[in-house]
Amino acid sequence: MVEKEPLVVARKILIIDDEEDIREVTALSLESVAGWEVIKAGSGAQGLARAAEHQPDAILLDVMMPGMDGPTTFRELRKNEATAKIPVLLLTAKVQSTDQRRFADLGVAAVLVKPFDPLTLSTQISSVLGWS
Amino acid sequence: MKPTAQTGADADAAFAQAMDVLWARFLPEIRERVVVLEEAARTTAARKLTGKQREASQAAAHKLAGVLGTFGLTRGTVLARELELAFARASPPHPDASARLAEATAELRAMIESRKAPA
Repeated sequence: MVEKEPLVVARKILIIDDEEDIREVTALSLESVAGWEVIKAGSGAQGLARAAEHQPDAILLDVMMPGMDGPTTFRELRKNEATAKIPVLLLTAKVQSTDQRRFADLGVAAVLVKPFDPLTLSTQISSVLGWS
Repeated sequence: MKPTAQTGADADAAFAQAMDVLWARFLPEIRERVVVLEEAARTTAARKLTGKQREASQAAAHKLAGVLGTFGLTRGTVLARELELAFARASPPHPDASARLAEATAELRAMIESRKAPA
């Protein structure tokens, strides 16, 4: 007998952001609106470890962080075979198009702008990653 | 308790309430960022803004720009972006601009203080 696929696919998302308020709002949004599982990391280094350990379906990565910033964290994720293929979406409060182009050129799946609408964030992510 | 996916008006109300709880939790931090900007506006007027203070103000404004709109304060994000740009320049903002800096920070403060807190 062929098992039916569930109507709602539970996704696992890793949020890497040094700002706790953003981490918590993002987590609330993805957990309560979409029912996704959320893993949180407060730094680039912590994010690298959590990504390798938890193998999330996607990573939301802040750009401006002390120590290892978003672009550096992204490059490190790509260097590691265990995390190289996980889609990464950069999250930034930088709105200038030059910044956005620079970030997009890194090879990330998308650049999302802060502030975001917590009610539609999961839809935005699903749309970008082709999750129906 | 970990929230679960819900549908309908109950879910919307529960989500709004959860956002209010987060707002109350992070309000002290948000206020601290506004204090940094208020102080910078005052020292700009007095021609005493230091490089370190300008950088701290730029960082505070950047963080506010990223978070306020998420809590529904879209005008707050606009004001914070204006302040981020004002303090982003390599040299301190001109004292002539201090009136506008004070005006923007005052509006930001009023907006933050008037956002609904959880019942």
